[in-house]
Amino acid sequence: MTHVTSQDGANDCSNNASAEIEVAIFMSQAVPSVTQRPRPSADDAPTTQPPLIDIRGVSAGYENKRQKTRLIALRDVNLDVQRGEFLAIVGPSGCGKTTLINMIAGFMKPLEGTIRVHGELVHGPGADRAMVFQDYAVLPWRTVYKNVMFALENRHPRPSKEVSAERIAHALELVGLTGFEKSYPYELSGGMRQRVGIARALVSEPEILLMDEPFGAVDAMTREAMQAEFEKIIAHTGQTVFFITHSIDEALTLADRVVIVSNRPGRVKEILDVDLPRPRFDEGVRRSERFGQLREHIWNQLQAEALGAKAGGDR
Amino acid sequence: MSAGTLPTTKPGADSNSVTEAITRSRWAPFRSFFITVINLTLFFVIWQLVALSEVINPLFFPKATDMFSALYHGFVDGIIGPELLHSVQNFTIGMLISAAIGIPLGLLMGGVRIVDLILSPYVWAMTALPRVALIPLLILVLGFGNSMQLTIIVLSAVFPIMVNCMEGVKTVDPSLVRAGRVFGTSEAQLYVKVILPFTLPFVVSGINQGIARGLVGMLIGELLGGGGKGLGFLLDRAGEQFDAPMMYATLVLLAVLSVGLVQGMRWIERRAAPWRDFSRA
Repeated sequence: MTHVTSQDGANDCSNNASAEIEVAIFMSQAVPSVTQRPRPSADDAPTTQPPLIDIRGVSAGYENKRQKTRLIALRDVNLDVQRGEFLAIVGPSGCGKTTLINMIAGFMKPLEGTIRVHGELVHGPGADRAMVFQDYAVLPWRTVYKNVMFALENRHPRPSKEVSAERIAHALELVGLTGFEKSYPYELSGGMRQRVGIARALVSEPEILLMDEPFGAVDAMTREAMQAEFEKIIAHTGQTVFFITHSIDEALTLADRVVIVSNRPGRVKEILDVDLPRPRFDEGVRRSERFGQLREHIWNQLQAEALGAKAGGDR
Repeated sequence: MSAGTLPTTKPGADSNSVTEAITRSRWAPFRSFFITVINLTLFFVIWQLVALSEVINPLFFPKATDMFSALYHGFVDGIIGPELLHSVQNFTIGMLISAAIGIPLGLLMGGVRIVDLILSPYVWAMTALPRVALIPLLILVLGFGNSMQLTIIVLSAVFPIMVNCMEGVKTVDPSLVRAGRVFGTSEAQLYVKVILPFTLPFVVSGINQGIARGLVGMLIGELLGGGGKGLGFLLDRAGEQFDAPMMYATLVLLAVLSVGLVQGMRWIERRAAPWRDFSRA
Protein backbone atom coordinates (compact mmCIF):
# COMPACT_ATOMS: atom_id res chain seq x y z
CA MET A 1 0.00 0.00 0.00
CA THR A 2 1.33 3.37 -0.91
CA HIS A 3 1.40 5.82 1.94
CA VAL A 4 1.22 9.53 1.65
CA THR A 5 4.69 10.64 2.57
CA SER A 6 4.19 14.31 1.97
CA GLN A 7 1.18 16.03 3.39
CA ASP A 8 1.38 19.28 1.51
CA GLY A 9 -0.16 19.09 -1.91
CA ALA A 10 -1.85 15.82 -1.09
CA ASN A 11 -4.48 17.45 1.05
CA ASP A 12 -5.75 19.69 -1.71
CA CYS A 13 -7.36 16.80 -3.50
CA SER A 14 -8.36 14.59 -0.62
CA ASN A 15 -11.76 13.98 -2.19
CA ASN A 16 -10.07 12.29 -5.11
CA ALA A 17 -8.38 9.19 -3.79
CA SER A 18 -6.65 8.17 -6.99
CA ALA A 19 -5.24 11.62 -7.67
CA GLU A 20 -3.98 11.65 -4.12
CA ILE A 21 -2.07 8.48 -4.72
CA GLU A 22 -0.63 9.72 -7.99
CA VAL A 23 0.65 12.86 -6.28
CA ALA A 24 1.99 10.85 -3.39
CA ILE A 25 4.05 8.70 -5.72
CA PHE A 26 5.27 11.74 -7.53
CA MET A 27 6.39 13.30 -4.27
CA SER A 28 8.09 10.21 -2.89
CA GLN A 29 11.59 9.30 -3.92
CA ALA A 30 10.89 5.73 -4.99
CA VAL A 31 12.73 6.30 -8.24
CA PRO A 32 16.41 7.28 -8.27
CA SER A 33 16.93 10.95 -8.89
CA VAL A 34 17.56 12.06 -12.41
CA THR A 35 21.04 12.55 -13.63
CA GLN A 36 21.86 14.00 -16.97
CA ARG A 37 21.26 10.99 -19.13
CA PRO A 38 23.94 10.25 -21.67
CA ARG A 39 22.49 11.60 -24.86
CA PRO A 40 23.66 10.20 -28.13
CA SER A 41 25.28 12.95 -30.08
CA ALA A 42 27.42 13.25 -33.14
CA ASP A 43 30.55 13.18 -30.95
CA ASP A 44 30.15 9.87 -29.15
CA ALA A 45 28.22 8.05 -31.86
CA PRO A 46 30.45 7.53 -34.85
CA THR A 47 28.54 7.69 -38.10
CA THR A 48 29.56 4.12 -38.92
CA GLN A 49 27.40 2.74 -36.10
CA PRO A 50 24.05 1.71 -37.55
CA PRO A 51 20.93 3.17 -35.96
CA LEU A 52 18.88 0.91 -33.69
CA ILE A 53 15.71 1.60 -35.65
CA ASP A 54 16.21 2.35 -39.32
CA ILE A 55 13.19 3.51 -41.33
CA ARG A 56 13.89 3.91 -45.04
CA GLY A 57 11.47 5.24 -47.65
CA VAL A 58 8.45 3.80 -45.88
CA SER A 59 4.96 4.21 -47.27
CA ALA A 60 1.91 2.63 -45.74
CA GLY A 61 -1.78 2.52 -46.46
CA TYR A 62 -5.05 0.82 -45.79
CA GLU A 63 -7.22 -0.77 -48.44
CA ASN A 64 -10.83 0.19 -48.75
CA LYS A 65 -12.31 -2.88 -50.41
CA ARG A 66 -15.69 -1.32 -51.02
CA GLN A 67 -14.40 1.68 -52.93
CA LYS A 68 -11.43 -0.23 -54.34
CA THR A 69 -9.10 2.51 -53.21
CA ARG A 70 -6.16 2.68 -50.92
CA LEU A 71 -5.85 5.31 -48.25
CA ILE A 72 -2.22 6.38 -48.01
CA ALA A 73 -1.35 7.03 -44.38
CA LEU A 74 2.40 7.53 -44.71
CA ARG A 75 4.53 8.47 -47.69
CA ASP A 76 8.30 8.13 -48.02
CA VAL A 77 9.23 8.36 -44.35
CA ASN A 78 12.92 8.27 -43.45
CA LEU A 79 13.90 8.15 -39.80
CA ASP A 80 16.81 6.93 -37.68
CA VAL A 81 16.56 6.22 -34.01
CA GLN A 82 19.84 5.85 -32.15
CA ARG A 83 20.39 3.51 -29.23
CA GLY A 84 19.29 5.15 -25.97
CA GLU A 85 17.46 7.94 -27.71
CA PHE A 86 14.05 9.26 -26.70
CA LEU A 87 12.19 10.17 -29.88
CA ALA A 88 8.78 11.83 -29.77
CA ILE A 89 6.46 11.98 -32.78
CA VAL A 90 3.92 14.79 -32.97
CA GLY A 91 1.48 15.47 -35.77
CA PRO A 92 -2.14 16.18 -36.57
CA SER A 93 -4.57 13.36 -35.90
CA GLY A 94 -4.85 10.87 -38.72
CA CYS A 95 -1.34 11.61 -39.99
CA GLY A 96 -0.21 8.00 -39.65
CA LYS A 97 1.69 8.16 -36.35
CA THR A 98 0.01 5.03 -35.06
CA THR A 99 0.56 3.31 -38.41
CA LEU A 100 4.27 3.96 -38.05
CA ILE A 101 4.45 2.54 -34.52
CA ASN A 102 2.37 -0.49 -35.57
CA MET A 103 4.88 -1.21 -38.32
CA ILE A 104 7.84 -0.97 -35.93
CA ALA A 105 6.00 -3.28 -33.53
CA GLY A 106 5.51 -5.72 -36.39
CA PHE A 107 1.70 -5.68 -36.58
CA MET A 108 1.66 -4.52 -40.20
CA LYS A 109 3.99 -4.27 -43.13
CA PRO A 110 4.90 -1.18 -45.17
CA LEU A 111 3.75 -0.94 -48.78
CA GLU A 112 7.15 0.35 -49.78
CA GLY A 113 10.47 0.81 -48.06
CA THR A 114 12.05 -1.04 -45.17
CA ILE A 115 12.02 -0.97 -41.40
CA ARG A 116 15.02 -2.46 -39.70
CA VAL A 117 15.66 -3.00 -36.02
CA HIS A 118 19.26 -3.99 -35.17
CA GLY A 119 19.84 -3.93 -38.92
CA GLU A 120 17.33 -6.74 -39.44
CA LEU A 121 14.05 -6.39 -41.29
CA VAL A 122 11.02 -6.40 -39.02
CA HIS A 123 8.86 -9.45 -39.71
CA GLY A 124 6.71 -9.46 -36.60
CA PRO A 125 6.73 -8.64 -32.92
CA GLY A 126 9.92 -9.47 -31.05
CA ALA A 127 11.33 -9.63 -27.55
CA ASP A 128 13.47 -6.55 -28.23
CA ARG A 129 10.36 -4.34 -28.49
CA ALA A 130 7.59 -3.77 -25.94
CA MET A 131 4.58 -1.56 -26.34
CA VAL A 132 2.45 0.66 -24.13
CA PHE A 133 -1.05 1.20 -25.49
CA GLN A 134 -3.23 4.26 -25.33
CA ASP A 135 -6.17 2.20 -24.04
CA TYR A 136 -3.88 0.34 -21.58
CA ALA A 137 -4.75 -3.11 -23.02
CA VAL A 138 -4.26 -4.82 -19.66
CA LEU A 139 -5.95 -8.19 -19.33
CA PRO A 140 -9.01 -7.58 -17.14
CA TRP A 141 -9.15 -11.15 -15.82
CA ARG A 142 -5.61 -11.00 -14.46
CA THR A 143 -4.34 -9.33 -11.32
CA VAL A 144 -1.75 -6.56 -11.55
CA TYR A 145 1.01 -9.07 -10.77
CA LYS A 146 -0.13 -11.56 -13.38
CA ASN A 147 -0.59 -8.83 -15.97
CA VAL A 148 3.05 -7.85 -15.57
CA MET A 149 4.03 -11.53 -15.59
CA PHE A 150 2.35 -11.81 -19.00
CA ALA A 151 5.38 -10.12 -20.60
CA LEU A 152 7.72 -12.78 -19.18
CA GLU A 153 5.78 -16.03 -19.42
CA ASN A 154 5.51 -16.31 -23.21
CA ARG A 155 9.24 -15.91 -23.86
CA HIS A 156 11.80 -18.61 -24.46
CA PRO A 157 13.62 -19.30 -22.30
CA ARG A 158 11.09 -18.45 -19.67
CA PRO A 159 12.74 -16.98 -16.57
CA SER A 160 12.51 -19.02 -13.38
CA LYS A 161 9.77 -18.26 -10.89
CA GLU A 162 12.21 -16.54 -8.51
CA VAL A 163 13.76 -14.38 -11.22
CA SER A 164 10.29 -13.48 -12.51
CA ALA A 165 9.08 -12.50 -9.05
CA GLU A 166 12.11 -10.31 -8.50
CA ARG A 167 11.77 -8.55 -11.85
CA ILE A 168 8.03 -8.04 -11.47
CA ALA A 169 8.53 -6.58 -7.99
CA HIS A 170 11.17 -4.22 -9.39
CA ALA A 171 8.96 -3.13 -12.32
CA LEU A 172 6.02 -2.51 -9.98
CA GLU A 173 8.26 -0.50 -7.68
CA LEU A 174 9.42 1.64 -10.61
CA VAL A 175 5.86 2.58 -11.51
CA GLY A 176 4.76 2.92 -7.88
CA LEU A 177 2.35 0.00 -7.76
CA THR A 178 3.96 -1.93 -4.90
CA GLY A 179 1.11 -3.17 -2.71
CA PHE A 180 -1.39 -3.48 -5.56
CA GLU A 181 -0.14 -6.88 -6.81
CA LYS A 182 -3.40 -8.66 -6.08
CA SER A 183 -5.73 -5.95 -7.38
CA TYR A 184 -7.70 -6.43 -10.57
CA PRO A 185 -7.61 -3.69 -13.24
CA TYR A 186 -11.27 -2.83 -12.67
CA GLU A 187 -10.38 -1.91 -9.10
CA LEU A 188 -7.84 0.67 -10.29
CA SER A 189 -8.08 4.19 -11.68
CA GLY A 190 -7.15 4.89 -15.31
CA GLY A 191 -3.73 6.25 -14.35
CA MET A 192 -2.98 3.18 -12.26
CA ARG A 193 -4.08 0.86 -15.07
CA GLN A 194 -1.60 2.56 -17.35
CA ARG A 195 1.08 2.09 -14.68
CA VAL A 196 0.35 -1.63 -15.04
CA GLY A 197 0.77 -1.25 -18.80
CA ILE A 198 4.12 0.51 -18.31
CA ALA A 199 5.33 -2.04 -15.76
CA ARG A 200 4.43 -4.82 -18.20
CA ALA A 201 6.51 -3.13 -20.89
CA LEU A 202 9.46 -2.52 -18.54
CA VAL A 203 9.61 -5.92 -16.87
CA SER A 204 11.28 -7.81 -19.70
CA GLU A 205 13.81 -5.00 -20.07
CA PRO A 206 13.36 -4.63 -23.83
CA GLU A 207 15.76 -2.39 -25.70
CA ILE A 208 12.95 -0.45 -27.31
CA LEU A 209 9.80 0.94 -25.74
CA LEU A 210 7.04 1.75 -28.22
CA MET A 211 4.52 4.11 -26.69
CA ASP A 212 1.32 5.06 -28.49
CA GLU A 213 -0.05 8.12 -26.68
CA PRO A 214 0.37 6.35 -23.35
CA PHE A 215 -0.87 9.27 -21.26
CA GLY A 216 -3.56 10.39 -23.70
CA ALA A 217 -6.45 8.82 -21.80
CA VAL A 218 -5.53 9.79 -18.23
CA ASP A 219 -6.62 13.00 -16.57
CA ALA A 220 -4.45 16.11 -16.78
CA MET A 221 -3.12 16.04 -13.23
CA THR A 222 -2.23 12.36 -13.32
CA ARG A 223 -0.64 12.86 -16.71
CA GLU A 224 1.79 15.48 -15.38
CA ALA A 225 2.78 13.25 -12.47
CA MET A 226 3.27 10.26 -14.75
CA GLN A 227 5.39 12.24 -17.21
CA ALA A 228 7.69 13.27 -14.38
CA GLU A 229 8.00 9.71 -13.13
CA PHE A 230 8.51 8.38 -16.61
CA GLU A 231 11.37 10.81 -17.22
CA LYS A 232 13.03 9.43 -14.08
CA ILE A 233 12.40 5.81 -15.05
CA ILE A 234 13.90 6.21 -18.50
CA ALA A 235 16.90 8.09 -17.10
CA HIS A 236 17.36 5.06 -14.86
CA THR A 237 16.91 2.33 -17.49
CA GLY A 238 18.41 4.15 -20.47
CA GLN A 239 16.02 2.49 -22.91
CA THR A 240 15.33 3.65 -26.43
CA VAL A 241 11.86 5.15 -26.59
CA PHE A 242 9.64 5.74 -29.61
CA PHE A 243 6.89 7.93 -28.24
CA ILE A 244 3.75 9.17 -29.97
CA THR A 245 1.89 12.10 -28.49
CA HIS A 246 -0.58 14.85 -29.21
CA SER A 247 0.89 17.11 -26.57
CA ILE A 248 3.72 19.47 -27.48
CA ASP A 249 4.57 19.98 -23.81
CA GLU A 250 4.78 16.24 -23.30
CA ALA A 251 7.10 15.85 -26.28
CA LEU A 252 9.36 18.68 -25.08
CA THR A 253 9.39 17.41 -21.49
CA LEU A 254 10.43 13.90 -22.42
CA ALA A 255 12.18 13.72 -25.78
CA ASP A 256 15.73 14.14 -27.04
CA ARG A 257 14.37 14.76 -30.53
CA VAL A 258 10.90 15.70 -31.70
CA VAL A 259 9.71 14.58 -35.12
CA ILE A 260 6.93 16.67 -36.64
CA VAL A 261 4.81 14.70 -39.07
CA SER A 262 2.80 16.43 -41.78
CA ASN A 263 -0.83 15.96 -42.61
CA ARG A 264 -2.02 12.81 -44.34
CA PRO A 265 -0.26 11.36 -46.18
CA GLY A 266 2.22 11.68 -43.32
CA ARG A 267 5.77 12.74 -44.12
CA VAL A 268 8.55 13.86 -41.82
CA LYS A 269 8.20 17.61 -41.86
CA GLU A 270 10.93 18.48 -39.42
CA ILE A 271 13.19 16.88 -36.84
CA LEU A 272 13.97 19.08 -33.89
CA ASP A 273 16.77 18.64 -31.34
CA VAL A 274 15.49 19.42 -27.87
CA ASP A 275 18.47 21.13 -26.28
CA LEU A 276 17.01 21.51 -22.83
CA PRO A 277 18.77 20.39 -19.63
CA ARG A 278 17.44 17.43 -17.64
CA PRO A 279 15.59 16.81 -15.45
CA ARG A 280 13.03 18.76 -17.36
CA PHE A 281 10.14 18.16 -15.06
CA ASP A 282 11.22 21.18 -13.18
CA GLU A 283 9.38 24.47 -13.27
CA GLY A 284 12.64 26.23 -14.13
CA VAL A 285 13.12 24.32 -17.36
CA ARG A 286 9.49 24.35 -18.35
CA ARG A 287 9.25 28.08 -17.82
CA SER A 288 12.53 28.82 -19.55
CA GLU A 289 12.67 30.98 -22.61
CA ARG A 290 14.08 28.16 -24.73
CA PHE A 291 11.19 25.84 -23.82
CA GLY A 292 8.77 28.58 -24.88
CA GLN A 293 10.58 29.11 -28.18
CA LEU A 294 10.57 25.40 -29.01
CA ARG A 295 6.94 25.07 -28.07
CA GLU A 296 5.94 28.02 -30.21
CA HIS A 297 7.94 26.73 -33.14
CA ILE A 298 6.29 23.28 -33.02
CA TRP A 299 2.90 24.86 -32.45
CA ASN A 300 3.29 27.03 -35.54
CA GLN A 301 4.34 24.05 -37.63
CA LEU A 302 1.37 21.99 -36.47
CA GLN A 303 -0.99 24.93 -36.91
CA ALA A 304 0.17 25.26 -40.52
CA GLU A 305 -0.57 21.57 -41.03
CA ALA A 306 -4.00 21.87 -39.47
CA LEU A 307 -4.86 24.87 -41.65
CA GLY A 308 -3.44 23.10 -44.68
CA ALA A 309 -5.75 20.20 -43.98
CA LYS A 310 -8.72 22.54 -43.90
CA ALA A 311 -7.72 24.32 -47.10
CA GLY A 312 -7.17 20.99 -48.82
CA GLY A 313 -10.56 19.84 -47.68
CA ASP A 314 -11.39 16.37 -46.48
CA ARG A 315 -12.54 14.19 -49.28
CA MET B 1 -25.21 -7.84 -3.80
CA SER B 2 -27.66 -7.20 -0.99
CA ALA B 3 -28.48 -3.63 -0.20
CA GLY B 4 -27.49 -4.22 3.41
CA THR B 5 -27.26 -1.56 6.03
CA LEU B 6 -25.12 1.48 5.48
CA PRO B 7 -21.44 0.63 5.88
CA THR B 8 -19.97 2.18 8.98
CA THR B 9 -16.28 2.80 9.32
CA LYS B 10 -14.30 1.91 12.39
CA PRO B 11 -13.77 4.94 14.57
CA GLY B 12 -10.21 6.08 15.09
CA ALA B 13 -8.88 4.50 11.90
CA ASP B 14 -5.61 5.77 10.56
CA SER B 15 -6.60 8.78 8.48
CA ASN B 16 -3.69 8.19 6.10
CA SER B 17 -4.38 4.58 5.22
CA VAL B 18 -5.96 3.93 1.84
CA THR B 19 -8.15 1.00 2.91
CA GLU B 20 -10.44 0.86 5.90
CA ALA B 21 -12.32 -2.03 7.48
CA ILE B 22 -16.09 -1.97 7.06
CA THR B 23 -18.46 -3.45 9.63
CA ARG B 24 -21.98 -4.43 8.66
CA SER B 25 -24.95 -5.44 10.75
CA ARG B 26 -24.97 -9.20 11.37
CA TRP B 27 -28.30 -9.93 9.78
CA ALA B 28 -27.61 -7.92 6.61
CA PRO B 29 -26.59 -10.99 4.54
CA PHE B 30 -29.92 -12.71 5.35
CA ARG B 31 -32.02 -9.67 4.66
CA SER B 32 -32.87 -10.46 1.03
CA PHE B 33 -33.62 -14.06 2.02
CA PHE B 34 -36.13 -12.95 4.66
CA ILE B 35 -37.77 -10.55 2.25
CA THR B 36 -38.14 -13.33 -0.32
CA VAL B 37 -39.70 -15.70 2.25
CA ILE B 38 -42.20 -13.06 3.39
CA ASN B 39 -42.95 -12.13 -0.21
CA LEU B 40 -43.70 -15.71 -1.27
CA THR B 41 -45.79 -16.41 1.85
CA LEU B 42 -47.91 -13.37 1.08
CA PHE B 43 -48.30 -14.53 -2.52
CA PHE B 44 -49.70 -17.93 -1.49
CA VAL B 45 -51.92 -16.38 1.21
CA ILE B 46 -53.46 -14.00 -1.35
CA TRP B 47 -53.85 -16.90 -3.79
CA GLN B 48 -55.69 -18.87 -1.10
CA LEU B 49 -57.98 -15.93 -0.25
CA VAL B 50 -58.87 -15.26 -3.89
CA ALA B 51 -59.59 -18.96 -4.46
CA LEU B 52 -61.74 -19.16 -1.30
CA SER B 53 -63.81 -16.19 -2.46
CA GLU B 54 -64.58 -18.21 -5.62
CA VAL B 55 -64.48 -15.11 -7.82
CA ILE B 56 -62.85 -17.37 -10.42
CA ASN B 57 -64.38 -20.77 -11.17
CA PRO B 58 -62.62 -23.27 -8.82
CA LEU B 59 -62.41 -25.64 -11.76
CA PHE B 60 -59.74 -23.36 -13.25
CA PHE B 61 -58.36 -21.82 -10.08
CA PRO B 62 -57.88 -24.20 -7.16
CA LYS B 63 -56.94 -23.21 -3.63
CA ALA B 64 -53.22 -22.93 -2.93
CA THR B 65 -53.60 -25.62 -0.25
CA ASP B 66 -55.13 -27.99 -2.82
CA MET B 67 -52.21 -27.33 -5.12
CA PHE B 68 -49.72 -28.09 -2.34
CA SER B 69 -51.64 -31.19 -1.44
CA ALA B 70 -51.55 -32.35 -5.07
CA LEU B 71 -47.85 -31.68 -5.14
CA TYR B 72 -47.31 -33.64 -1.93
CA HIS B 73 -49.46 -36.58 -2.95
CA GLY B 74 -47.97 -36.55 -6.41
CA PHE B 75 -44.54 -37.11 -4.93
CA VAL B 76 -45.67 -39.58 -2.26
CA ASP B 77 -47.74 -41.68 -4.66
CA GLY B 78 -44.95 -41.73 -7.20
CA ILE B 79 -46.84 -39.83 -9.91
CA ILE B 80 -44.52 -36.82 -10.22
CA GLY B 81 -41.19 -38.43 -9.33
CA PRO B 82 -40.59 -40.57 -12.43
CA GLU B 83 -41.82 -37.82 -14.76
CA LEU B 84 -39.60 -35.24 -13.09
CA LEU B 85 -36.65 -37.61 -13.30
CA HIS B 86 -37.36 -38.26 -16.96
CA SER B 87 -37.52 -34.54 -17.76
CA VAL B 88 -34.42 -33.61 -15.78
CA GLN B 89 -32.49 -36.49 -17.27
CA ASN B 90 -33.51 -35.63 -20.81
CA PHE B 91 -32.80 -31.97 -20.26
CA THR B 92 -29.36 -32.60 -18.75
CA ILE B 93 -28.31 -34.93 -21.56
CA GLY B 94 -29.69 -32.51 -24.15
CA MET B 95 -27.80 -29.57 -22.65
CA LEU B 96 -24.57 -31.55 -22.44
CA ILE B 97 -24.87 -32.51 -26.11
CA SER B 98 -25.71 -28.89 -27.02
CA ALA B 99 -22.69 -27.54 -25.14
CA ALA B 100 -20.41 -30.20 -26.61
CA ILE B 101 -21.48 -29.27 -30.14
CA GLY B 102 -22.25 -25.57 -29.70
CA ILE B 103 -19.17 -24.30 -27.85
CA PRO B 104 -16.43 -25.69 -30.14
CA LEU B 105 -18.36 -24.93 -33.33
CA GLY B 106 -19.21 -21.42 -32.12
CA LEU B 107 -15.59 -20.69 -31.22
CA LEU B 108 -14.49 -22.06 -34.57
CA MET B 109 -17.03 -19.88 -36.38
CA GLY B 110 -15.70 -16.83 -34.55
CA GLY B 111 -12.06 -17.58 -35.26
CA VAL B 112 -12.03 -19.16 -38.74
CA ARG B 113 -13.70 -17.14 -41.45
CA ILE B 114 -14.35 -20.00 -43.85
CA VAL B 115 -16.18 -22.02 -41.16
CA ASP B 116 -18.28 -18.96 -40.40
CA LEU B 117 -19.14 -18.47 -44.07
CA ILE B 118 -20.17 -22.10 -44.49
CA LEU B 119 -22.18 -22.52 -41.29
CA SER B 120 -23.75 -19.14 -40.65
CA PRO B 121 -26.75 -19.37 -43.06
CA TYR B 122 -27.89 -22.57 -41.34
CA VAL B 123 -27.16 -21.31 -37.86
CA TRP B 124 -29.13 -18.11 -38.37
CA ALA B 125 -32.01 -19.92 -40.05
CA MET B 126 -32.21 -22.37 -37.17
CA THR B 127 -31.88 -19.62 -34.55
CA ALA B 128 -34.76 -17.68 -36.07
CA LEU B 129 -37.05 -20.62 -36.87
CA PRO B 130 -39.70 -21.26 -34.18
CA ARG B 131 -38.89 -24.67 -32.76
CA VAL B 132 -42.50 -25.88 -32.80
CA ALA B 133 -42.40 -25.90 -36.59
CA LEU B 134 -39.95 -28.79 -36.46
CA ILE B 135 -42.17 -31.06 -34.39
CA PRO B 136 -44.11 -32.70 -37.24
CA LEU B 137 -40.92 -33.39 -39.15
CA LEU B 138 -39.17 -34.79 -36.08
CA ILE B 139 -42.12 -37.03 -35.27
CA LEU B 140 -42.10 -38.25 -38.86
CA VAL B 141 -38.41 -39.05 -38.76
CA LEU B 142 -37.87 -40.11 -35.16
CA GLY B 143 -41.31 -41.24 -34.03
CA PHE B 144 -42.77 -40.56 -30.60
CA GLY B 145 -39.82 -41.86 -28.63
CA ASN B 146 -37.26 -40.34 -26.39
CA SER B 147 -34.85 -39.53 -29.21
CA MET B 148 -37.37 -37.08 -30.63
CA GLN B 149 -37.70 -35.29 -27.27
CA LEU B 150 -33.93 -35.18 -26.90
CA THR B 151 -33.46 -33.87 -30.43
CA ILE B 152 -35.84 -30.97 -29.93
CA ILE B 153 -33.97 -29.95 -26.74
CA VAL B 154 -30.65 -30.01 -28.57
CA LEU B 155 -32.04 -28.13 -31.57
CA SER B 156 -33.45 -25.50 -29.21
CA ALA B 157 -30.35 -25.00 -27.09
CA VAL B 158 -27.43 -25.48 -29.45
CA PHE B 159 -27.88 -22.41 -31.66
CA PRO B 160 -27.99 -19.70 -28.99
CA ILE B 161 -24.84 -21.27 -27.53
CA MET B 162 -23.12 -21.23 -30.93
CA VAL B 163 -24.12 -17.68 -31.75
CA ASN B 164 -22.91 -16.35 -28.40
CA CYS B 165 -19.57 -18.14 -28.58
CA MET B 166 -19.07 -16.81 -32.09
CA GLU B 167 -19.91 -13.25 -31.04
CA GLY B 168 -17.52 -13.56 -28.10
CA VAL B 169 -14.56 -14.45 -30.30
CA LYS B 170 -15.47 -11.79 -32.86
CA THR B 171 -15.71 -8.98 -30.34
CA VAL B 172 -12.35 -9.62 -28.66
CA ASP B 173 -10.74 -6.26 -27.98
CA PRO B 174 -8.18 -5.78 -30.81
CA SER B 175 -5.89 -3.98 -28.36
CA LEU B 176 -5.72 -7.10 -26.20
CA VAL B 177 -4.86 -9.18 -29.25
CA ARG B 178 -2.09 -6.72 -30.15
CA ALA B 179 -0.85 -6.82 -26.55
CA GLY B 180 -0.80 -10.61 -26.77
CA ARG B 181 1.27 -10.52 -29.95
CA VAL B 182 3.68 -7.85 -28.76
CA PHE B 183 4.38 -9.81 -25.58
CA GLY B 184 5.27 -12.92 -27.49
CA THR B 185 2.28 -15.25 -27.51
CA SER B 186 2.17 -17.96 -30.14
CA GLU B 187 -1.08 -18.43 -32.02
CA ALA B 188 -2.17 -21.17 -29.58
CA GLN B 189 -1.17 -19.12 -26.53
CA LEU B 190 -3.11 -16.16 -27.92
CA TYR B 191 -6.23 -18.32 -27.95
CA VAL B 192 -5.67 -19.79 -24.50
CA LYS B 193 -4.54 -16.64 -22.72
CA VAL B 194 -6.42 -13.83 -24.45
CA ILE B 195 -9.28 -14.91 -26.70
CA LEU B 196 -10.80 -17.69 -24.58
CA PRO B 197 -10.80 -15.79 -21.26
CA PHE B 198 -12.38 -12.85 -23.06
CA THR B 199 -15.01 -15.16 -24.56
CA LEU B 200 -15.81 -17.02 -21.33
CA PRO B 201 -18.62 -14.67 -20.21
CA PHE B 202 -20.15 -14.96 -23.69
CA VAL B 203 -20.02 -18.76 -23.44
CA VAL B 204 -21.75 -18.65 -20.07
CA SER B 205 -24.48 -16.30 -21.29
CA GLY B 206 -24.87 -18.51 -24.36
CA ILE B 207 -25.46 -21.49 -22.09
CA ASN B 208 -27.86 -19.32 -20.12
CA GLN B 209 -29.91 -18.58 -23.21
CA GLY B 210 -29.56 -22.20 -24.26
CA ILE B 211 -31.08 -23.31 -20.96
CA ALA B 212 -34.06 -21.02 -21.40
CA ARG B 213 -34.63 -22.21 -24.97
CA GLY B 214 -33.91 -25.82 -24.02
CA LEU B 215 -36.62 -25.76 -21.35
CA VAL B 216 -39.11 -24.60 -23.96
CA GLY B 217 -37.89 -27.33 -26.29
CA MET B 218 -38.25 -29.92 -23.56
CA LEU B 219 -41.83 -28.88 -22.83
CA ILE B 220 -43.04 -28.71 -26.41
CA GLY B 221 -41.44 -32.08 -27.07
CA GLU B 222 -43.29 -33.60 -24.12
CA LEU B 223 -46.56 -31.74 -24.74
CA LEU B 224 -46.84 -32.25 -28.49
CA GLY B 225 -44.59 -35.23 -29.04
CA GLY B 226 -47.00 -37.66 -27.39
CA GLY B 227 -44.19 -39.64 -25.79
CA GLY B 228 -46.28 -40.20 -22.64
CA LYS B 229 -43.44 -39.17 -20.34
CA GLY B 230 -42.09 -36.10 -18.58
CA LEU B 231 -43.48 -33.02 -16.88
CA GLY B 232 -45.07 -31.82 -20.13
CA PHE B 233 -47.02 -35.06 -20.34
CA LEU B 234 -48.12 -34.59 -16.71
CA LEU B 235 -49.37 -31.12 -17.59
CA ASP B 236 -51.18 -32.41 -20.67
CA ARG B 237 -52.88 -35.26 -18.79
CA ALA B 238 -53.92 -33.01 -15.87
CA GLY B 239 -55.55 -30.69 -18.38
CA GLU B 240 -57.46 -33.49 -20.05
CA GLN B 241 -58.69 -34.76 -16.68
CA PHE B 242 -59.67 -31.27 -15.44
CA ASP B 243 -57.26 -31.86 -12.55
CA ALA B 244 -56.53 -28.17 -11.84
CA PRO B 245 -54.53 -28.70 -8.58
CA MET B 246 -52.19 -31.12 -10.39
CA MET B 247 -51.78 -28.72 -13.29
CA TYR B 248 -50.85 -25.86 -10.99
CA ALA B 249 -48.56 -28.14 -9.01
CA THR B 250 -46.69 -29.06 -12.19
CA LEU B 251 -46.45 -25.41 -13.21
CA VAL B 252 -45.04 -24.44 -9.81
CA LEU B 253 -42.55 -27.28 -10.10
CA LEU B 254 -41.50 -26.06 -13.55
CA ALA B 255 -41.18 -22.49 -12.26
CA VAL B 256 -38.97 -23.63 -9.37
CA LEU B 257 -36.86 -25.70 -11.76
CA SER B 258 -36.39 -22.81 -14.21
CA VAL B 259 -35.66 -20.21 -11.55
CA GLY B 260 -33.19 -22.58 -9.92
CA LEU B 261 -31.38 -23.13 -13.21
CA VAL B 262 -31.31 -19.47 -14.19
CA GLN B 263 -30.15 -18.33 -10.74
CA GLY B 264 -27.55 -21.08 -10.68
CA MET B 265 -26.22 -19.90 -14.02
CA ARG B 266 -26.14 -16.31 -12.84
CA TRP B 267 -24.09 -17.43 -9.86
CA ILE B 268 -21.71 -19.25 -12.22
CA GLU B 269 -21.60 -16.20 -14.50
CA ARG B 270 -20.42 -14.01 -11.64
CA ARG B 271 -17.80 -16.58 -10.64
CA ALA B 272 -16.65 -17.01 -14.22
CA ALA B 273 -15.88 -13.33 -14.72
CA PRO B 274 -15.50 -11.39 -11.48
CA TRP B 275 -13.59 -8.80 -13.49
CA ARG B 276 -16.62 -7.97 -15.57
CA ASP B 277 -17.61 -5.03 -13.44
CA PHE B 278 -19.60 -2.84 -15.79
CA SER B 279 -20.44 -0.30 -13.12
CA ARG B 280 -16.89 1.02 -13.26
CA ALA B 281 -15.92 0.46 -16.86
